[in-house]
Amino acid sequence: MNNPSRRLAALGLAAILIVGVGFAIFQSVSQHLGPTAVTLRGLIGSEKQPFFSDPQVVAALHRGGFDVIVATAGSRQIATADLSNEDFAFPAGGPSAAEIALNHSGTTSIVPFYTPMAIATFQPIVDLLTQAGVVTQQPGYLGFDMTKYMALVASDKRWIDLPGNTTYPVNKSILITSTDVRKSNSAAMYLAIASYVVNGDNIVQNNGDIDSIVQQTAPLFLKQGFVESSTEEPFDDYLVQGMGKSPLVMIYEAQYVAAAASTTGGITSQMRLMYPEPTIFSKHTFVGLTPDGTRLGNFIATDPEMRTLATQYGFRTSDTAAFSTFVTNHGLTIPDSLNDVIDPPSYEALEAMITQFEGLYAGSLPTLSPSETP
Amino acid sequence: MTRATPVGRLAAILFGVALISLVSACGSSAPSPENTLSVLAGSELKDLEPMLPDIQAATGVKLVPTYIGTLEGADSIAGGADADVAWFANAKYLSLLPAAASRIVASNQIMLSPVVIGVKQSVAQSFGWAGNPNVSWKDIESHAADGSFHFAMTNPAASNSGLTALIGVASALSGSSDAIDAGTIDSDAMKGFFKGQTVTAGSSGFLADTYVREQGTVDGIINYESVLMGLNAGGQLKEQLDIIYPAEGIVTADYPMILLNAAKKTAYDKVVAYLRSPDVQKRIMTDTARRPAVPGVPLDSRFPTTTLIELPYPSQLDTIDALISTYLDEFRKPASAIFVLDLSGSMAGDRLSSLQTALNALTGTDTSLTGQFTHFHANETVTIITFSSTVLDQRDFTIDDTQPDSPDMQAIRDYVDGLEAGGATAIYDALEQAYTTVQTDEATNPDRLYSIVLMTDGENNSGSDADAFTAAYDALPDAARNVHTFPIFFGDSSLADMQAIADLTGGQLFDAKSASLLAIFKQIRGYQ
Repeated sequence: MNNPSRRLAALGLAAILIVGVGFAIFQSVSQHLGPTAVTLRGLIGSEKQPFFSDPQVVAALHRGGFDVIVATAGSRQIATADLSNEDFAFPAGGPSAAEIALNHSGTTSIVPFYTPMAIATFQPIVDLLTQAGVVTQQPGYLGFDMTKYMALVASDKRWIDLPGNTTYPVNKSILITSTDVRKSNSAAMYLAIASYVVNGDNIVQNNGDIDSIVQQTAPLFLKQGFVESSTEEPFDDYLVQGMGKSPLVMIYEAQYVAAAASTTGGITSQMRLMYPEPTIFSKHTFVGLTPDGTRLGNFIATDPEMRTLATQYGFRTSDTAAFSTFVTNHGLTIPDSLNDVIDPPSYEALEAMITQFEGLYAGSLPTLSPSETP
Repeated sequence: MTRATPVGRLAAILFGVALISLVSACGSSAPSPENTLSVLAGSELKDLEPMLPDIQAATGVKLVPTYIGTLEGADSIAGGADADVAWFANAKYLSLLPAAASRIVASNQIMLSPVVIGVKQSVAQSFGWAGNPNVSWKDIESHAADGSFHFAMTNPAASNSGLTALIGVASALSGSSDAIDAGTIDSDAMKGFFKGQTVTAGSSGFLADTYVREQGTVDGIINYESVLMGLNAGGQLKEQLDIIYPAEGIVTADYPMILLNAAKKTAYDKVVAYLRSPDVQKRIMTDTARRPAVPGVPLDSRFPTTTLIELPYPSQLDTIDALISTYLDEFRKPASAIFVLDLSGSMAGDRLSSLQTALNALTGTDTSLTGQFTHFHANETVTIITFSSTVLDQRDFTIDDTQPDSPDMQAIRDYVDGLEAGGATAIYDALEQAYTTVQTDEATNPDRLYSIVLMTDGENNSGSDADAFTAAYDALPDAARNVHTFPIFFGDSSLADMQAIADLTGGQLFDAKSASLLAIFKQIRGYQ
């Protein structure tokens, strides 16, 4: 987690750039290892750039016969990017990958790793929300009831309003800190969960219900005010600034696991991980656009060393035992499986909701003041 | 080790010499273009200059900073300014500006400092604030509103610490501690709070200097925690400041280093990795009293261990712009801006016309991002004192209507357009008249923010001299002496004389030789 390049994100809508560092490393490593590998190009979600820049990953890929040049973009951008010169695309979210597969014939989709959406928090907050009935102990993990949480937001509840709250007497609204739903996959997954709840525990379809669903989920995002564009930023703030800034942060489980596994990761004894109920898996889906690209995807998904390296970044792979061992070795209590996991909406339904959010942020749709919150 | 033959030894010596000259050549020559980063930086970052040689030694990358105010910097990046990197105390405003946001390639926060309030210990004790964790912005507002608490804060249109404080105070006083929007601002509470603001400034550093100078008449100062700690450690305070972290919350500056030029990513990554390494984070904390931005570097004993509640930042640019405008037009004390203008013969031609352009731009005709905050504000009085061999004229204007085409603004333009040059240069006579005016006006209108701008293109050659002016200035009452003069170094004016006037009055020199008069006038507006 400490690798600063991990925080680098393609911010804004324009930036799609060649990752010079990764290229330089693969060049220097490949010179040492010999020229037997095929060179492939891919467009990946910015959150996986540190993984592909890691010298161990570069070396393992080379051993498998691949030198990889990656460019980064947000998962939403990848779905609509020009991929004619790429061997593969590797977005963080399933819906984007499905859209790519739909628009490119003869592709193969593989999910080499995945990670559930989770909420990073602190013990005093766990205690308060347990008392309020939002957090419950599930077998092996803390569950965070999204329906009850959204009722608190809808009734404009503040931390100070919680009965018996002496540990966090803060006048701010009870809100999960997320990233920008217009730009970031983790926020889009948060929206996927919230929209499922307001849709009566049904996955949102791309139909006339979307207006009302967006209006009901809007306060979760708009009340936060300014939000960052990449998931690294709020999680770093959580680690450094603590409970005063973000008592609840929507993250990928992988971020927390990787921080806990790092000697300088900053996880303290008061920090806790919870899982929204329902939660959703962020499926890092590899879309092979060429035969060589598909070979690379299979290699990343099945090679034992690649799986081990992915585990070190906190991802879950098909090797569930390796993940269990890894988290146990780092003193973490992370569940092998979660009870309440839903699928994200289709790409079209998610896009339709996010497009409405763009309108809300641009002021072309009326925003709700707190008193008008449904 | 085998013994070297004489030839081998000679070769070794020659090799050594070659190596040394190679190394020294590397040390003295400028880094290659790909290892040089032009940095558009907030003026708050000047205190990191001692680290630049170490950054270069460790990474091979040379940072070349150009300092600029937060909004001016955002405006300039949106306008396509040619910089590789932007580095400000806060980039949220920048990233809400679409034309600037689209240039952001990567962003990494480097260090943290909350914007908080320092209160003189005796004052904190008398209000029951000393060691009290429950002091709120609301408490501060009630003492500011009843006239028992006076504080210094920078201008939010010019300086990030002022903007950050304004946003935090607006959120806290709205009663919700949520992100503000136009409908949630409590105007009465805001007016009450800013009734206490008796000192303004265009930069956080200048504000700290002014506080030191005027500490006898001010009770507190809003600034970065790091600046307040620096004041407490600086040995210039008669009384230490209690640093108060108001209970509703604060807003923290996170100093993100932003890559604008994708071609310089390798050099940028090296600098960011260096600055975010634990040892360097520790050094930044020790040397500048800013908090580390990476996990795993514990705070040293100077910092309180209490949880700092962070107030949210607005997500809408319009909300922030409206808040700044309302602050300038309604919340803060109205300004009385005095312009002392040289109309000597040497001003004829281009110099006079560029002065006219610069002044006219302040009547609302400049529609740029910075222009919208630097025009004359509601309830402001503008006094123009012209001089050549003697004082020529003094004219007062009052702004009730801030529309660019209002009669109030038109009156200023008409007057400015009618100015003509001719005669010698009586700087000190004119300046003395400005202070006499201030003294008179303060007697009837004490609740205004007074300032004097001096624009001359030559040396004093008529009327009283510098010594006579200094004597007259020293004889003024405190309130008039606390009105700063901002001299503009322009044309053939004397740098030494202008600097002396700035030093005497606690003002600041502005250099119009390296920037346009228009840009300088807009910068000075941050201090008015």
